Amino acid sequence: MIVCVAVVGHQNNPLYIQSFTEADDALKLHHIVHCSLDVVDERVNNPKRSGPTLNETYLGVLYPTENYKVYGYLTNTKVKLIMVTTDLDVRDADVRNFYRGFHAAYVNAVSNPFHVPGKKITSKTFAEKVSTIVKSFG
Amino acid sequence: MVEPENTRLGKMLLDEITPVVMVLRTPLVEESCRKNGLSFIEMLSPFCNFNNIDVPVRTASDHPYRLRKFKLRLFYASEIRQMNSEVAKDRLKQVVTHAGDRDISELCSDPPAIETIVATSELEIVPSWFQTFNKQLVDAVSFSEHESFDHPVACLVAVSSKDQEHIDKLVDLFDTNQLPSLLNDGAMDPKILKYFLLVHDNQDDILEKSTGILTEMRSTFGAHDCRMLCINSSVDGSEEHHENPWASYRNNALHKKQFGCFINVDDIEELKTTMQDLSSKHIIPHMELKIRVLNQQVSATRKGFRNQIKNLWWRKGKEDVPDNPNGTMYTFSSIESQIRVLGDYAFMLQDYELALSNYKLISTDYKLDKAWKRYAGVQEMMGLAYFMLDQSRKDAEYCMENAFSTYLKIGSGGVRNAVRCGLWWAEMLKARDQYKDAADVFFRISVEEPLHSAVMVEQASYCYLLSTPIMLRKYGFHLVLSGDLYKKCDQIKHAIRTYRGALVVFKGTAWGHIRDHVHFHIGKWSAFLGMYDEAIKHMLEVLACGHQSRAFQELFLKDFLRIIQETGKTFEVLRLQLPVINFALTKVVFEDHRTYASSAAASVRESLWRSLEEDMVPSLSVIKSNWLEIQSKVLPKKYKESNVCVAGEAIRVDVGFRNPLQIPISISNVSLVCEHSTESDETVSNASSSLINYQNDTELRTVSVSGDFSLDTPFFTLSEVGTSIQGGTSILVQLTVTPKTEGTLKVVGVRWKLSGSVVGIHNFNADVTRKKVARGNRKLKQSIKNKLEFLVIQSIPRLEGVIKNLPRTVYAGDLRRLTLELKNPSTVSVKNLKMRVSHPRFINIADQEAMDLEFPNCLKKHANSSESYNHVDCAKAPNSVFVFPETTSISADTPLVWPLWFRAAAGGSVSLCITIYYEMEDKTAVITYRTLRMYYNLEVLPSLEMSFKISPCPSRLQEFLVRMDVINKTSSESFRIHQLSCVGDQWELTLLHTVDSVFPLEYLIAGQALSCFFKLKKCQTRVTTEDNLSSLVTSARADVRLGDSDSRLFDTSISPLILFHHHERLLQEKLQQEHQSTIDFILMSESQNESESGQPRSSEILSHHTCHCRIASTSPIRWLMDGPRTLRHDFSTAFCEINLRITVYNSSEDHLSVRINTVDSTPTVIPVSSAASVSGNEEGWHDLSHLSDIKLTSDLMRSKVGKALSFESVSSFVWSGSSSTRFKIEPLSSAEVPLQVCVFSPGTFDLSNYSLHWNVLASGEGGDDEAGSRVTSSGTCQGHSYHITVLQKD
Repeated sequence: MIVCVAVVGHQNNPLYIQSFTEADDALKLHHIVHCSLDVVDERVNNPKRSGPTLNETYLGVLYPTENYKVYGYLTNTKVKLIMVTTDLDVRDADVRNFYRGFHAAYVNAVSNPFHVPGKKITSKTFAEKVSTIVKSFG
Repeated sequence: MVEPENTRLGKMLLDEITPVVMVLRTPLVEESCRKNGLSFIEMLSPFCNFNNIDVPVRTASDHPYRLRKFKLRLFYASEIRQMNSEVAKDRLKQVVTHAGDRDISELCSDPPAIETIVATSELEIVPSWFQTFNKQLVDAVSFSEHESFDHPVACLVAVSSKDQEHIDKLVDLFDTNQLPSLLNDGAMDPKILKYFLLVHDNQDDILEKSTGILTEMRSTFGAHDCRMLCINSSVDGSEEHHENPWASYRNNALHKKQFGCFINVDDIEELKTTMQDLSSKHIIPHMELKIRVLNQQVSATRKGFRNQIKNLWWRKGKEDVPDNPNGTMYTFSSIESQIRVLGDYAFMLQDYELALSNYKLISTDYKLDKAWKRYAGVQEMMGLAYFMLDQSRKDAEYCMENAFSTYLKIGSGGVRNAVRCGLWWAEMLKARDQYKDAADVFFRISVEEPLHSAVMVEQASYCYLLSTPIMLRKYGFHLVLSGDLYKKCDQIKHAIRTYRGALVVFKGTAWGHIRDHVHFHIGKWSAFLGMYDEAIKHMLEVLACGHQSRAFQELFLKDFLRIIQETGKTFEVLRLQLPVINFALTKVVFEDHRTYASSAAASVRESLWRSLEEDMVPSLSVIKSNWLEIQSKVLPKKYKESNVCVAGEAIRVDVGFRNPLQIPISISNVSLVCEHSTESDETVSNASSSLINYQNDTELRTVSVSGDFSLDTPFFTLSEVGTSIQGGTSILVQLTVTPKTEGTLKVVGVRWKLSGSVVGIHNFNADVTRKKVARGNRKLKQSIKNKLEFLVIQSIPRLEGVIKNLPRTVYAGDLRRLTLELKNPSTVSVKNLKMRVSHPRFINIADQEAMDLEFPNCLKKHANSSESYNHVDCAKAPNSVFVFPETTSISADTPLVWPLWFRAAAGGSVSLCITIYYEMEDKTAVITYRTLRMYYNLEVLPSLEMSFKISPCPSRLQEFLVRMDVINKTSSESFRIHQLSCVGDQWELTLLHTVDSVFPLEYLIAGQALSCFFKLKKCQTRVTTEDNLSSLVTSARADVRLGDSDSRLFDTSISPLILFHHHERLLQEKLQQEHQSTIDFILMSESQNESESGQPRSSEILSHHTCHCRIASTSPIRWLMDGPRTLRHDFSTAFCEINLRITVYNSSEDHLSVRINTVDSTPTVIPVSSAASVSGNEEGWHDLSHLSDIKLTSDLMRSKVGKALSFESVSSFVWSGSSSTRFKIEPLSSAEVPLQVCVFSPGTFDLSNYSLHWNVLASGEGGDDEAGSRVTSSGTCQGHSYHITVLQKD
C-alpha cells in the first residue's frame, strides 16, 4: 500500500505532499520524504551515472527504512516525485507504471495557467487523480 | 591515508587492548597514597602510558621489532570482573546527565548558520562527551572470559613499609579466595607473573628500615621481582607541578587539595622508572616468552596438513555437542584458549599478522563448535587486526559485521558486546571516511534502551553531517529522532540541544510541518526547564501556522498561552505573528482644512472632493502666498511637507488584521502607539511617557504590569478596541488618536493584546523600511513616512453638518424636501459659507422661505396663479456654487437649518457628495478656511417607467397624437397618476378619452402597465427656437389631470419642479441628438402606501420627466392637401377646374428642396392595398368624427375607382399646370403650393397620384464637396389619398 506521495520542487521545497494513512503520522512521512531528498541528491550528483542511466528519470528505491520503501523519480525540470510504500516487495515495472501516471498528472497540474511555478499545487483535480492512481496501485 | 595507529580507532585500540595488571595492596599503601588525594592506581596510572618505550620485541618470527607505544592497564583485583549491567547503566546515565548540565548555557545562544556548521571540523561539531560515553560502553563489557586480552598478564603486589610482617602480608594478599573469578574458574592460567613492590612513605618512615625490608623480600621472592617505591618525599605538601600528571582526575575529586602535593620531582622520577621497569623488564619479556611457547605448541598440534585433517576429524565427531554460547568447556589449558591467548598477546604486542593468523585458525573451530560468543569475539579481533594492518578493508568490514550480527544473535548476553563491536566498527568506517556507512552502523547499534539509542542516533546524525556529499536532511532527521529519545529518558536539555541542531536544517525551508514541530517542542521543553524567553521565542514561530490542522493550531495556541501564564508576566512582542497585519496602513484619515461629516465621507476618493471644491476653495497659488505671509514665522520649514491636523480632532488609522488560523482568536486593547513632541524644543524628545523607543531591535520585552501603557496622556488620547477574529477572516480596525496640544505627533505603530496575555506591537516604520528595501522606491517611502507625521495646530472651529430625513432607499422620481443642519460647536464663529452638490439632479438648494411652506401643497397651483415664480432664475446654473447669504452665521447653540429639494432622478445606487466651505473669523489661525464634506449613499428603486410616442395627425398639420405608456416597475408599491404636463406654452394637451375610461382603478398597482392617448396641439403656429429654450413657462393648458378631480394640479413651473426639469432636460439632451422641435413631458404621481403604523402616510410626490420627445416619422416633411371636397359642376359647358393647395411643413432643421410631381397616367404604381392602408383602421389613430362620415362612401368608391382604373385607359381627370413644381422650405416652416386638377366627368376621384420628392440642401458651402451625403438625405413620398366628388350640376 502506498502511504505517501510527494512532489518536491527543484529547490527541494514541497509542492504537494499527501499521506494515505489513517494514523496521524504526517510528521513522520514528511521526515521520510525530506530525508529521501538527500538520497536523490546523492544519486543525481553521482558522477558514475552515465550511458543509459543518464537520462533515466526513474531513480528506483531510494532507501529502505524499517517499515517503508521509498521510491524516487526525477523529472527533467528537477522536480522530484517521491513515493513511500509499505509493500516491501514491489515489482519495478509496477512502480514505473505508477510514476508514469503520476508524472502525467503532475504535468497536467502545472500546465494549468493559474498554477504559479514553484508554488504549492492546490489543484483538486490533481489530488483526485493522484489518489486514483494510488488506489489502483498494488 | 592516515596510519591506522594514528586514527581514532587505532589510538583507542592501543589504549584499550593492552596488558592488564592486577594490583594487590595493603590498606596502608592506600593510606599513604591518600595523602596526595589519590588512590594507589591513580598514582601509578599516569606512568603506565609509554609513548616511546622503545623496547625491542621478538615474537614468533626471528626478526625483532621495536615497540613505540605501550600501555599497561592497572586494576584492583576486586575490579577484575564483569560489570553489573545496572551499574553500567547508571554510569552511562551519569555521563549523559553530566554532559547535559554542562552545556545548558549554550542552549540560549543562537544556533550557528548552516554554512558555518559545514565548514567546521569534526572535533568542533561532535560533542566531546561522546568519547567518554563510548568508552564507558566499551568498558562495560571488559573482563569477559572469552577475551583473553582482558585477562591480567601480571600481578602487582604492594606492601607499605609501615606494614608489619611483610612477607606474610605479601603471601596473604595473593590469597586465591579473594582473587577474581577469572583466575579461579579456570578461564585463565592461575600461574601469573608477580611483581612485588614495597611502598616507602618518606614522611612516616626512615629509608633504612625500608631497605632492610626490601632485602628480606628479595631473598624470599627473588631479586628481580622486588622493588622499593619512595613517595611523599616532599615535607610540607606544597609541591607544585608544572604539568600535573593527575590533572585528569580532578573531576572525580571533591576536595580542593592539589593532587600529588607530597610527591616531589624525585618521586615522580622514581614512579616513572618503576613502571618502566615493570613493563619493559617484566611484562613484555614475559609476554614474548609466552607467545613463543604457545606458538610452538600450536604449531605442533594444529599447523601442518596432518594436524588440520586430524582436527577436522575430531571436530566432526563433536557435532552432536549442544549449543553452548558461554563455551565453558574451554579452559585455559585447552588448545583453543591457548590459540586465543596467543593471538591476543600478539595483538597487544602489536604483532598483528601473528594475531590475525591465530584468530583465523581458531575462528573456524569456534564456528564448528557453535561457541558463538567466542566466535564473534574472534571475528571482532580479526576485523581489528585487519584494520591495524591496513589491508583488505572488505575483510575487515565483513568480520566486523559478522561479529556484530553474531553477538546480536546470541540474545541478551551479547548485546553489550555488540554495542562495543558496533562502536569499533563505526570508528573503523569513520577512519576511512565512510561516514555514511558509519551512520548506518550507529543507527544499528541503537537497539537497546532509549538513552543509548539517543546517543547513538545523535552520533549517526553527525556522521551524516560529515559525510560527502553532505546529507543535511538526514542529519536533521536523526537529530530529531535522537531528541525524541532523549525526551523519553527525561534528558530534556539534550533533547533541546539536538532539536536546536535540527532547526538549523529546517529553518528557512518550506517544510513547515517539520519546522513547526521542532519549534513547538523546543518551546515546550524550554518552558519546562524554565527558560521562558527561549520558549516564547520559539513558540512565536509556530503561532501563525495556517497550514496546520485545526487541532494543531489549538494546541499551539493553548500551549503558548499556558507558557505565558506560567511566566506570570506580560510580554511585549515586537513581531507577534498573530493576528497578521494585513496591509499595515490601509487608510489614514485626518482633518486639516478638510473635514468629514462621516467616516463614509472620508473614504471617498480625494480627487472627487477636489473637483467638487475646485471653484469654492481659494486657488492654490493664492492660499500659498497668504499662508506664507501669515504663517512663515510660526511654522518651521520642515513642517511644510508634513500633514497638518488640529488639536482635539481625531486622526483615524485603519489597520487590517487577518487571522491565519482556523480557530477564532480574541484581541483586545488594540490601540495606536504614538510619539508626541512639543514644538518648543527642536530636538525631537519623546515627551510622552508612554513612548517606547522601538528602534533597537528588542524582539521581546517584559512588562511587569500591563498598566505601563496608558491610553490617556497629557498630549494625546488613544482609542482602544477589542474584538474577536473568526478563523480565516480579516477585519479592519479603526483606531483613533486625538492630539491635545500643539506639536508634532507621530504614529509609530499599533499594539494589541492577544488573548489577554501577550502584547504584540507592530512598528509601521519597520514595515516601511522593509518595503523600501524590497522595492527601492524612495518616493513611496517618503510619502508613507509623511503620512504618519502630523503637525498639530491649535484648535479651530469645525462645522458639523447633517442632512436630516434623507431616506436610505427611495423610488425613482420621489420628490422631497430635506433639511440641512449645520452646527458649530466651537465659540469662534465662521463666515462665508458656500455649498456645492455633486449631483444637482438629485439635490437642489432651496430658498430659505421654502422652509416655512407646507409640502407638498406648496407645489400645487394656487387659485390665483401668481406669475411670480414663473421666472425662476435658471441662472442658478447646474453645478454652480451656492453662496449662503451673508446674514447666516452659525454660533454654538443655534444651528443653521436650510431646506434642500431632493428628487431621486435615476435608479441605482447613488452617491451624493456635498461640500460646504467656510472661513474662520479668526484670521490668525493657521488654517483660514475649511471644508465640510458630507457623503450619502442611497438606493434608488425603479418606480414608474414611461414612454411617449408622438405621431402626426394626417389631417391637421399642427395636431399630434401622443401615446403614453406607463408601467409600474415596483414589486409592491402602487401609484396614483396625478397629472401629465407638457412643458412650453405653445402646446395644448387634451385627453382623448374620459379619465374614467383610462383609469378604471384609482391606482396603478405593481407590475401594471397602462397606455393612454392624448391629443397634442400647437396653439401658436410659429415659435422661435430661442423662446422654446429660454422660457420654460407652462400655461395651464398644458396640464392634463389624470387622477381624481378634486385635488389641485401641480404647478410644474415653480421652483423645485422646474429646476429638476431643467437638469433632466440637460441630461437627456446629452443622450439624445440635438433636435429642436421636441416636447418635454412631466408626469406627476403619488404613492400612497400604508406605513407600518397603519395610518396613511402623507402622500409622496413623484415626478417623472421625459424630455425631447419627437414625432415618430421618417420623413422630414409633412403635407396636407387642401381644397373643396364636393362640388357641383355643369360638365356640359366645360370640364371642371378645381384649385387645390398643398401645404408642406418642414419639420427638420435643414433647408429642404421639395418637388411635387403630378402623374396623369394610370397610377399603377399605387397598389390597392396601400390605398386601403391609408383609409383602413390599422393605423394607430384616426380622427373619429371624420372617419365615421367618410366611411361609407370611401368603401363604395374605392372598389369602383379601382375597377374603373383597371380597364379604362384614360383617367377622367388630369393635373393641369406644371407637372413638376420645385420649391425650398426653411427649417421648421411651411410652404403653400397651388395645384390644379381638371375633371372631365362627374364622379369621385382619388387624387393620390402625385409624389413629393425632398432633398436636404446643404446648409453651408461644404455641402458641395460631399455629394454622397446629399444623395442619402433625400426621399420620395407618395401622395395621400384625397377624395373629391364632382357632381353634375343640374
